[in-house]
Amino acid sequence: MRTLDYLFGPGATMQPAALAAVAVALLCGLLSPVVVLKRMAFIGQGVSHAAFGGIGLAAVLGLFSVGAAGSGTPLGAMGVVGAFCIGSALVIGFLSSKSGVSEDTAIGVLLVASMALGFLLLQVHRSRPGGSAISVESVLFGDVATTGVTQAVVAWAVLLASAVALFIARRPLLFWAFDEPMAESLGVRTGAVRAMLMVVLAIAIVVTMQLAGVILATAMLVLPGAAALQLSRRLSRVIVLSVILGLAGAAIGLVISFETDWQPGPNIAMVYIAVFIAARLYRSTRR
Amino acid sequence: MSPPPETESSPAIVFDRIGYAYPGHQPAVEGISLRVQAGERLAIIGPNGGGKSTLLKLLLGELTPRSGSIRVFGVTPGEARSQRVIGYVPQRSEAERSFPVSVRQAVSMGATVGLSPWHRTPRAIIESVDQSIERVGLSAIADRPVGALSGGQFQRVLLARALAVKPRVLVLDEPTVGIDAAGQEQLAQVLDRLHADGELTMLIVSHDVRAIAGPQRGGPDAKPFCDRVACLRRTLHFHDSPEGITPQVLAHVFEHDLSAVFGQVHVEAHTAEDCNDPAHASGHTHDHHGACTDEHHDRLGGA
Repeated sequence: MRTLDYLFGPGATMQPAALAAVAVALLCGLLSPVVVLKRMAFIGQGVSHAAFGGIGLAAVLGLFSVGAAGSGTPLGAMGVVGAFCIGSALVIGFLSSKSGVSEDTAIGVLLVASMALGFLLLQVHRSRPGGSAISVESVLFGDVATTGVTQAVVAWAVLLASAVALFIARRPLLFWAFDEPMAESLGVRTGAVRAMLMVVLAIAIVVTMQLAGVILATAMLVLPGAAALQLSRRLSRVIVLSVILGLAGAAIGLVISFETDWQPGPNIAMVYIAVFIAARLYRSTRR
Repeated sequence: MSPPPETESSPAIVFDRIGYAYPGHQPAVEGISLRVQAGERLAIIGPNGGGKSTLLKLLLGELTPRSGSIRVFGVTPGEARSQRVIGYVPQRSEAERSFPVSVRQAVSMGATVGLSPWHRTPRAIIESVDQSIERVGLSAIADRPVGALSGGQFQRVLLARALAVKPRVLVLDEPTVGIDAAGQEQLAQVLDRLHADGELTMLIVSHDVRAIAGPQRGGPDAKPFCDRVACLRRTLHFHDSPEGITPQVLAHVFEHDLSAVFGQVHVEAHTAEDCNDPAHASGHTHDHHGACTDEHHDRLGGA
């Protein structure tokens, strides 16, 4: 078993990746029900693709050149990508609420613009003397091999900060998600709640990206909650199930990655899809 | 049009010559003067696009009138909103039915706004929530997910949520839309019980004359939703005179097509004493609140 060697063998090379994966899976499992219930899957998709633009920008700024090999995304680059994602989330919100552009159009425009900008900036970066080759495949589909201790610490810090933010905002968040117009009329600052969730979502995507890649980060944010909602109509159970299914799916997907040496993103996504289909079938048999 | 006579009770809602126009459009409402006494139930009916939503938004403080003033128990709509004077029951379509929350969780959402995130829900709010659920007759299913409820039951969840903030004025927006006759009747009975408690002032906005009037909905014993009816199509036709709301007024408000939409319906609103007039009783069915109906006369069609 390569997995046991990777985790407990000499050097325990994949321990930071596994610890980061646990934090990311818990974070996504926690966020997933509200993403599904508020129909924010496409926003997640737009914001995660915006990360690609952020990576291009970080590369041009030279933030990947220091210790890039074998130590994952440097902190400075993560900061730029995070700022790019948060900015994109806020631009989507602004475009759809103030400019008369529908939300899905705003997301579609931003998604394409970020991908194109990211590729162009990476080309600029490569054409420079001394520009390191950043694996586009790793960015798109994730890469655990380069996840270091720093990334694992950042993932756990983001998980704890997000959990505290969600706990503090739990009552207005629930009301906003259930009935936004009424929440607003009864004094919930719905704009602030939405902005808070978008920021948490954007930061979650940045840490998820390392594991699942830009393209498949949304799978981790959507599928655990979608599966949990097939299994229960009680909120507390939905949240617990989402976290458990998210963790289990990420663990199984990661083990498959370790054993096959394939990128983790597609494995995790396929496990999640299998879990969702199983949950859907279970629900249909209960009717 | 004459203003309602002064009574000993204080006015709950006062609209004084209110006008509002959306930018670049003709006035949505104009010259609206309205006085609802504390504890009274008023229904405002009118066709779609007649200004009902605008009037509601003005009352809830979501729009500011271009002219005139609004007072709810002596304060502005904005102050009334922040002081939780108004409990608002929206059309049920605005809430997410598939959301995994129980009746009790849904009802408590309004009452727990503004609580410290570090504290558990206070005992007083839990009791207020339970009491509201009981008042709308849903205690037996308080722990059931809202997705498992009928349309009428869900409407009463929204009503309980509004009651849980202990409002003095209850505003219902199209309470009969998408609810079957039995659900409408249960809702009317709940509203009647709330009215009997004598604390709440109610304003009901609807396009559905038949359901609001009561007997048109479920036979002569069906509960009406209101004591008085006012008709709105940009201007308000508010009658407290013995003549009540005449077929001509209704025909004007509904552009002569009321009978085509609702069947052969005649609705008059007037004070309850007038129902004791023997000359008035012939050919009509009455209820104790003064809404008076007659399905045999096609008076609207001829209006």
